[in-house]
Amino acid sequence: MENEEKVMTGEESLKIISEMINKTKFDIRQGSFYLLFWGWLIFVCSLSEFLLKKFAGVGHSYYVWLLVIPGVFVSMIYGFMTGRKAKVRTYTGILYMWIWFGFFIAAMVLFIVHSKSMYSVAPYILLLAGLPTFISGFLIKFKPLIAGGICFWVIALAIFFAGTDTYSLGSAIAMLFGYLIPGYMLKNRVDHDAV
Amino acid sequence: MTRFKELDPILHSQLRLAVVSLLIGIEMAEFTYIREQTGATAGNLSIQITRLKEAGYIEVIKKFRNNYPQTLCSITELGRQKFAEYVNDLKDYLSPKKQG
Repeated sequence: MENEEKVMTGEESLKIISEMINKTKFDIRQGSFYLLFWGWLIFVCSLSEFLLKKFAGVGHSYYVWLLVIPGVFVSMIYGFMTGRKAKVRTYTGILYMWIWFGFFIAAMVLFIVHSKSMYSVAPYILLLAGLPTFISGFLIKFKPLIAGGICFWVIALAIFFAGTDTYSLGSAIAMLFGYLIPGYMLKNRVDHDAV
Repeated sequence: MTRFKELDPILHSQLRLAVVSLLIGIEMAEFTYIREQTGATAGNLSIQITRLKEAGYIEVIKKFRNNYPQTLCSITELGRQKFAEYVNDLKDYLSPKKQG
């Protein structure tokens, strides 16, 4: 675009507008990092808790959830680093960030409210996690993530009625369908688009 | 070739239209990002950004990041309004042609 004073036709103007608007799409790579990171972290914690309790008879198997604390710091550092490097801030990106931040705050409140009965928190956390997942799927127009959000709600309902023994295994399954599978599909799509 | 002399002369220029179209969907963008996306030279882009800023269509913030100067651009309310008017005017010019 060297000759800025060139007289344009209407078609040329429309072409420029649509080309430029298409270039401002949200970078979904950030989305896949968080889905995979948290998907694996919660999957490992949930499955470890289930296996330790069921097969090793460990009474305090819930201590594995302490891994979430360094996970929060890793997420914050990653967010800070990518935010500093970013040359552009899209409205979708900002909305995406605040939806997940809102979920984080709501989850913290839930943990405080349930601090004396942490064993019963899983269905509520899954219920809560379904919302940002579902909305994010619509924001980035990615159906597996929309389906992932629905999976969270279905599993939340199922384990609520199935009883506390199913909570950790149910959470691991929810992570698989809610975060990990959509996360890898998203990552593959990004890698494919980059080729 | 159809000419559109009545269209907003500030926006009816390839590079300025590209810059405003780019900024319409984002909250803020660095000068280098706009240069990459539009494929313009730094000098030319700088001139056009200054014209858009003088017209009040965009806001330009200069600051430092890691000791390097950083130029951030964002669209103003006036710029948003003018862009909407430009698109509407464009539609008006194009629609009779489609009907015919």
